[in-house]
This record gives sequence, structure tokens and C-alpha cells, in this order.
Amino acid sequence: MNFIKRGLLSITRKKGKALILLAVIFILGNVISGSISIQQATGNVEKNIKEKLGAAATVELDYKALENMDEEEQMSIEIADLDLELIKQIGEISYVKYYDYNMSTWLGSESLQSYQGEEMDDAGVEVVADGMSPDFMLKGINYAPVLDFEEGIGNLVEGRIFESQEVENGSSVAIISKKIAEKNDLQIGDNFTLTNSVMDYDETTGEEKVATSRDVVLEVIGLFEPASANVEQSEEDAEMLDFMDIDYQNTIYVPNEIISNESRYQSEEYMKIDEEYAEMVEAEGTDYSDIYTPIFVLKSPEDSVAFEEEVQPLLPELYKVTNAGDQYDSIAAPVESMSKLAGYVLIVAVSATVLIIGLVVLLFLRDRKHELGIYLSLGEQRARVVGQILIEVMVVAVIGITLSLFSGNFLAQGISNTLLNAEDTQMEDDMMYYSELQAYQNNITTDDVVESYEVRLDSSYILMFYLIGLLTILVSTIIPLVYIVRLNPKKIMM
Amino acid sequence: MILEAKDLNYFYQDGDRRRYVLKNTNVGFEKGKFYTILGQSGSGKTTLLSLLSALDSPHSGTVLFNEKDIKQIGYEKYRRNNVGIIFQSYNLIPSFTAVENVLVPMSITENEIPEDQKSVAYNLLDYIGIVKSKADRTVNKLSGGEQQRVAIARALATNVELILADEPTGNLDEEMEQEIIDIFKKLAHDHDKCVVVVTHSNEIAEQSDQTFTLQKGNLTAYE
Ligand SMILES: Nc1ncnc2c1ncn2[C@@H]1O[C@H](COP(=O)(O)OP(=O)(O)OP(=O)(O)O)[C@@H](O)[C@H]1O
Ligand SMILES: [Mg+2]
Repeated sequence: MNFIKRGLLSITRKKGKALILLAVIFILGNVISGSISIQQATGNVEKNIKEKLGAAATVELDYKALENMDEEEQMSIEIADLDLELIKQIGEISYVKYYDYNMSTWLGSESLQSYQGEEMDDAGVEVVADGMSPDFMLKGINYAPVLDFEEGIGNLVEGRIFESQEVENGSSVAIISKKIAEKNDLQIGDNFTLTNSVMDYDETTGEEKVATSRDVVLEVIGLFEPASANVEQSEEDAEMLDFMDIDYQNTIYVPNEIISNESRYQSEEYMKIDEEYAEMVEAEGTDYSDIYTPIFVLKSPEDSVAFEEEVQPLLPELYKVTNAGDQYDSIAAPVESMSKLAGYVLIVAVSATVLIIGLVVLLFLRDRKHELGIYLSLGEQRARVVGQILIEVMVVAVIGITLSLFSGNFLAQGISNTLLNAEDTQMEDDMMYYSELQAYQNNITTDDVVESYEVRLDSSYILMFYLIGLLTILVSTIIPLVYIVRLNPKKIMM
Repeated sequence: MILEAKDLNYFYQDGDRRRYVLKNTNVGFEKGKFYTILGQSGSGKTTLLSLLSALDSPHSGTVLFNEKDIKQIGYEKYRRNNVGIIFQSYNLIPSFTAVENVLVPMSITENEIPEDQKSVAYNLLDYIGIVKSKADRTVNKLSGGEQQRVAIARALATNVELILADEPTGNLDEEMEQEIIDIFKKLAHDHDKCVVVVTHSNEIAEQSDQTFTLQKGNLTAYE
């Protein structure tokens, strides 16, 4: 009858004590498993939502920091432009899958009709402004395959993407939406004309009129369609989406160089009209320069923290890295606070368990002092006596932990439902800033976060709970085991 | 000589004074003999036995088992392989059955034990006077005499040649006492074991092959 058998025999012979220990472990196990369940669930939410939010990142001005400055500081601050070399340097960082930097400008057209939404189209109502309104957003790209297509914002449905040669040379080629093509009867290979108008503002009449303009002729090489948002949306959201859809349908992809040229033309012509402006430009020596908005797509959303850490030191003052996942923090408040709460409960429960199980085991050991003395007097090694007690406690612990694995998980579901509902009402809306990144993020709200919260009985939870549970009980048993090591069999037996 | 004590000194610290219980005690025991140690209460009999059984260590002097210092053998090892100890208060595991109690030292010792430990244990108990029906009872449901028999069987379970007993019949009536003593005699004479029994009883001492008296820290042989 070796020490393992002895331990098992002791459990069956002293059922009462084993049951008391089991009950204590079960109760504490419930608290631990409940808090682990909640933590795992919140962890999953974070992972899911961040996955959904995507792996895009950008570098932009830190508007919050700007806003927090007092006026004097704001006036004196000089904001440097984002250097193209820096963008390229960041793009080479290992976390980046691919990247692009974009310029954009709005242009109008006399010949090309813009898309104004389905309903508008049928009614045929056309708002004709003086001259023409700049209906079309030209989006300059440097990444020839077009990042927006790779990221699934739009899909190329006809024609081809850019060739790197075209991007480099600033060739007059464009990818337009299928809707615009249909509306204007444009085929691949056709040309269309936009107008770059420089407006003059008459201070006395308050009227704007075209001072000078030039044509921009572009060849259609490809057609795209927006990726349909096939998620169910509330009416409000749908309207919002429609609005965004119109914008996107009127987007024209061109090489960056084209926009650079047109913007330069605008700036130079405007200097001719407005002397004050020209003087100011000359005085400050701030000639026209290209302003790029970079977008970096990371290999994984999980890289975003490391990416940010690596990039931040390279940035000029007042710039910051914005990750798509950053939005999570502002929408996940209820889940986050529950995660925090569960974390505290876990720490308290683990400490309480160490204390309580330690005391219970110590009491039981004192009761069994005689038995332990007998083993020692028979020449049993202390390590094996310790081993026997460990086995006894751990066998009961495995049963207790296994039982609480299920019940604690079940409890966690109930508790989190109550907590989430209570939190929902006291949500405070964080001030949101528009970021270039928003195009690359799915629109995710707090409701989505709460919805994706789910307490599950999955393998990672089970593993985690067994690990923490058994380790806690092991630690709590080690303390009273010191008692065995110090037992003196002579005193007990003679 | 299977067991020898040489110049044993043992004291209890009494404030800053040392109260010697054993002073340069020398004694030897042989196989095949039944020894008794007599002495007044408080004379140090239990102390001596605890040293001989390696439950405690002397402040100076040595205990030799088959000419080898038990310190060298290792106290734990000596206890599990070389000596069987029997206590006045039986010291059985109350929640285990008699046979389970006998099985415990079998798993601890490094001595050869026949494969079928359980039947060895039953046979041993039967030899000592515990029939199978009682062997399967938890020991707290046995009488004092029966419990002490189980304790003897447990001491014999590891096939040792040396049995040390501290007032083994102290809690038993005379009839039971005689039966236990008969077992000890049989073990010494028929099975060539060395049996050392500490006792108060002159009747027991009279039945032994040799008696020592412990007085003022000294053992004197007594024919
Ligand atoms: N832990 C201790 N601390 C101090 N003195 C002790 C201790 N244990 C025993 N003694 C003393 O040592 C002496 C010897 O004790 P021991 O138990 O060996 O006597 P004994 O001969 O076995 O007595 P008895 O016949 O009553 O069992 C006694 O005087 C006792 O009071
Ligand atoms: Mg005594």
C-alpha cells in the first residue's frame, strides 16, 4: 500500500472531511471560475472587435492634444507636414503588410454627371450651382493595386488596376465607380473631362465666381463597386450609410501625381488673384507642398501596439499613430469595466482560497497528527508523507474544480447579463474625432460589443481555470505541509 | 550482537541545567533472546528505547546495528528496514482495517516482501491471533488486546530481526498480557528474533532470558 493508495484510501475512509473540503473548494472554485469566465469572455470580445475593426493604422495630427492647449500655445505652435520619406520609412517596418499614402482633392465637371443616390436619380432633380459644384473626389494613390480594393472597401468589377509605371509617371488614368460609368455611358478606354476651377471670392458682393480653370482629361481603365454592407442596419444607420455611399460612388482613383499637379495649379493661380495670400506665402517661404495621408495595413491587429511603440518616436511633434483598434476603447466601456471587476474578484478569490484552504488543510492535518507520526515512525520519507497529503487534497480539488467549472461558468452568464444591462444605461459618449481611418473600419457600436460578449465553455477557459484553480490549491496546501516537515514522531508516539 | 549501545548520553535541558537521563549507558542484545528492561517511572526507559529505535538521537555515544552505526545507516532507513517498534498506546491508524495497518509498513520497507502482500498480512495476523473476520474490521472496532496484536503483526510485517516494545501490555489485563508475552517468547525462541521489552512488571521480567534495570542513568544486568 504505497503513499498514493494510502491517500486514496484516506479519502474514502474519511468521507465527512473530504466532503467539507470539497464544499469549500467548490464554493471558492465558483468565484474563481466565474471571474475567469468573465475575463475570458471580455478578452474574446476585445479580440473579435479588434479583428472586426481591422488592422489599418495611420499617422495623423493629435487633435485632442491640440484642443487641450491654451490659445497662446495654439497660436505659437508650428505644425510640420508629414515627410514622405518618413511615411516610406514607417511603411518598411516589419509589422506593415502594405501601405499607401494618399492625396485628395474635389473637382467638378461639366460633362460628367455625379451620382446622387437612387431616389434622387429617379426624380431627376439636379441642383445646378453657379458654374459647377465639385462633385467628384479624386483620391490619389501610390499603391498601384489600390489599397481600398485589397481591404475590401471596394471591388474592381471591370478593367484593370493601375500599373506602377502609371503611378510613377502620373499618367492620366482613373478608376471610377460602375454607377458613374453607367450614368455617363462610359466604357473602359473612354476619356472623360473634369474641370479644375480656381474660384474668386468677391468680398463686396459675397459671391464666388470662377476666376480661371483648366480641363483634366482622364482615361477610364477600371470600374469599381463599393463592397456592399450586408449587415443589418437600423434606419438611422442606413441613411448614414447611404450618405457615405454617395460619397464613395463619386470617388475617382487616380495616381497621386495628378492631384499634386492640380493642387499646385490651384495654389499658383490663387496667388495671382489674391495678392495678400501671395505676399504671405512669400514672407513665410511656405511654398506649395504635397500633403499625404498615409495608411498602413498591418499584418495582424495584434501588432498594433508594437507598431505604435515603434513608430511614435519617429514622428514629429503633435503627430500620433491611430490604430483601427483604438476605437475599441471608446465603445467597449461596459465590457471593460466588467473585465476589471472580474480581475479584482479573481485576485481576491485566489487570495481567499489560499488562506481558507490552507487553514482547512492545516486543521485536518492536526487531526491526523497521529497517523502522520505513525508513517514517520515506520521510516516513511517525509516527502512521501507530504505527497500523500497533496494527493488527497488534489483529488478532492480536481472534483471540486470540475464541478465549479460548469456552475461558475453558468453563474458568470447570469451575472454578466445583469452587469451589462446596468452598465448600458450609464454609458457616456466620448467625443469623437474624424479620422482618415474611419473608412477602413467597420462601423461598430457599443451594442455590437455587448452583443458579441458571450460567456463560453471553451477549451482555453477550461485550461485556464484548471491551471489557476489547481495551482491556487497547490499553493494553499504547501503552507500547512510545512507542519508535516516539522513533525517529531517520538513526541507523537511515545 | 545484533544491537549495541555504546556510551549513550542523553539529557533534557532544565532551564540552564542539564538533567541527564542516560549517563554513559552501555548495553548489547543478541538474536534469539527475549530481553526486558525494568525501571521506575521516570527512570528513562522510554528515552532509551527511543534512541535504540532511532526515533531520537543521543547527545553522545552510538547505537550499533549489526556492528554498524545506525546514524550511518540513516535513521529513517533503519526504522523502515531493520527494526519493528511496538508502543504502549498501539498507534494504529484508526480509519484503516487491521490488515491495511499491517500493509502500511510493507510498502515503506525496502526489505523483500512476498508478492502477495495481502495474504502475507492475513497469515501474520492469524499467527498473532487475529482471525480474518477481525482482520477486515477497522481497528477502532477491536479490543485493546486485539489492537496490540495488530501492532505486533505490523512490527513483524517487514521481516525484521529486531523488535522493540515500550510497555506493550501496559493497557491490558493480566490474561491478555500473558498471551502477548507468549508471542514475544515464541518470536525470540522459535523465529530467532531479538525482542526487547520495556516493562514495569516483574512477572514479565521473570519470563525473559535477561533483564536490565535502569537506575540513575545506568543499566545493570540482572540474572
Ligand atoms: N520532553 C521532555 N522534557 C523534559 N523532560 C522530559 C521530557 N520527556 C521526559 N522527560 C523526563 O525524562 C525522564 C525520563 O523519562 P522517560 O519517559 O524516559 O521515563 P520512563 O522510564 O519511560 O517512565 P515511565 O515508566 O513513566 O514511562 C523523566 O524524568 C521525564 O520527566
Ligand atoms: Mg515510558
